[in-house]
Amino acid sequence: MSAFPRSALAAALAAACAAAAPLAHADIKVGLMVPLTGFAAADGKSALEGAKLAVAQANAKGGVKGEKLELVVYDDQASPKEAVPAATKLIEKDKVVGAVSGSYSASTRASAGVFQSTKVPYVTAYAIHPDITRVGDYMFRVSAMGEVQGRAGAKLVSQLGKKNVALITVKNDFGQALAAGFKDAAPKFGLNIVGEHEYSIQDRQFGPLVAKVKSQSPEVIYASGYFYTAGPLVSQLRAAGITAPVIGQEGYDSEKFMEIAGPAAEGVLVTTSLDRDSDRPATKAFLADYRQATKEGADMVAASTYTAVNVLIDGLQKTGGKGGAPLRDAIAAGKFDTPIGELSFNDLHEVKKDVQVQVVRDKAFHRHSVISDPVLLAPPSKAQ
Amino acid sequence: MLFFELLAQSLVQGCIYALIALGLTLVYGLLRILHVAHAALFTLGAYLGVLVYNASGSLLLAFAVAMALSGLGGVAMFRLAYQPLLARPPYVALIASIGLYIAAEEVFRIVFGASGLSFAQPPLQAQVAIGGLQFKEAELAVMVSSAIIIGLLGWLQTRTRIGIACQATVSDPQMAESFGIRLNTVRDLNFLVGSALAGFAGVWVAILNNLVEPTMGSVPSYKALAIIVLGGLGSVRGTLLAALVLGLIESFGTTYIGQLMDRNAIAFAFLILVLMMRPQGLFARR
Repeated sequence: MSAFPRSALAAALAAACAAAAPLAHADIKVGLMVPLTGFAAADGKSALEGAKLAVAQANAKGGVKGEKLELVVYDDQASPKEAVPAATKLIEKDKVVGAVSGSYSASTRASAGVFQSTKVPYVTAYAIHPDITRVGDYMFRVSAMGEVQGRAGAKLVSQLGKKNVALITVKNDFGQALAAGFKDAAPKFGLNIVGEHEYSIQDRQFGPLVAKVKSQSPEVIYASGYFYTAGPLVSQLRAAGITAPVIGQEGYDSEKFMEIAGPAAEGVLVTTSLDRDSDRPATKAFLADYRQATKEGADMVAASTYTAVNVLIDGLQKTGGKGGAPLRDAIAAGKFDTPIGELSFNDLHEVKKDVQVQVVRDKAFHRHSVISDPVLLAPPSKAQ
Repeated sequence: MLFFELLAQSLVQGCIYALIALGLTLVYGLLRILHVAHAALFTLGAYLGVLVYNASGSLLLAFAVAMALSGLGGVAMFRLAYQPLLARPPYVALIASIGLYIAAEEVFRIVFGASGLSFAQPPLQAQVAIGGLQFKEAELAVMVSSAIIIGLLGWLQTRTRIGIACQATVSDPQMAESFGIRLNTVRDLNFLVGSALAGFAGVWVAILNNLVEPTMGSVPSYKALAIIVLGGLGSVRGTLLAALVLGLIESFGTTYIGQLMDRNAIAFAFLILVLMMRPQGLFARR
């Protein structure tokens, strides 16, 4: 063996590695749960692109301790009944060291228990239901919870100098959490809720609802929803001659919103986590890299999922690729500079951060203001 | 004022429901199949409408292509999926139909992408004020064009040879056949017309919402079933009335009891209520 020339050995090894690379399983596997089919598939696609970008960048920088990361992706259809078997597969079959939820609240709540019971750290990107982090200490969340965003919405209304609000709420975890937070903070800002309306996530035609809102003549409309419900809703509000400002949330945060609502989108405000006009290097770099990788503009879902995957990778760098309790502790103790802000976790593994207000101008999101209020925007902790 | 606005909105919605449910009721009357996959042709029409309009700028062409291809799609579904199953019990065709619908949804997603399509310049968006009510041009156009097309269909059914042949086939297929009516021609024609109407409705919904998605047919697929049950299965006139009634119930229901139930829940609560009192449907004669 000693007679064998070193360089030849190295070359042979390199060749063997290169040949085997597509077949050999990568050394460190990270799981991703996303809705690639079904009603939430559009958000799932953004989430997947964000996650892929994070992993590709980490691998380009040498991976974790020289080992490559592999992203294992399962489609949970944003449905609890799909999420549980997918989570089980990630753990039992793929043996991931950690995972990210790039999905909605219902499916994330269902899969959270599986990850907690097997001690696999699970970072939630943008699902906002309060119960997710209460499942246990292996859960983390990088986005502001629904209640927190709802409170920020109430503050925004008062900053606009308005009082009479109509609430339009999408009937699911997301909408109800936002409405609860908004109504919780409304008295603090002296807001008067002139009407409350609810709609189903499948609705695209809001004729009767719009007629009712119009009859209440609100000064501001606080409407929760996703770009695929909010696009038609905002356009129908404007078509009925309602000119009151509309405030949405991160569910609106997609270029598709402007495409669907067209001219009606102009002036719509959203409370979200991605500031398109940010000066922060992490945000600017992400926006540019994402556009280069996908030829599309990034949205909140992509930025949040990118962030969640990076939080996990950061933790893995510290543990040298080990999962379990060491990874949990590394993430819990970490400070992260991300496109959606400087993040660190509290004892419930929630983040505290400012809420970005964006406004639609010339078919694009731009900075309107930043809501910074550590007391109002405090995430719940274990004590509460 | 709110009352009249709700009335107008319920008419718009009722017309869309009527256009979709007519095809279903034609198929049920003829073949006793609950044709769930009908909603896939509604989605197909919507996609074609957006694609053709974006490419050509002609709304007329968009409607023509959407109706023609949805119609042919319906005939293809009949020939390939239902015809071979006609000798089997009706639930076999129903299962095939559900499978077909789910498959179609995924095909739309794979071909056109998950996030849906919109018009680059949505047509008929201008505001029209009539007697103090605000409408989009498109909303008025839905009502007018639906009335015309349904009226035309009624005339064809009762005043032309082929229409009468269809009616004869519905009431007694064997007798009709022995009088020289070709059953398969009648069936093809039914699927062609019914599916073209679904495509027509699809284009209107695309214009009203400026959004077509792979899953846009899922609510109409079961709501149209509810409508034909309400209308007294297989009755064309009953279906039309039931569609308008459902539009009214949803419109006023979401406004006044929307806190309790959402629009779809209201529709189905109403269906259950009606079936408890009139199991044969609201408008069935027998």
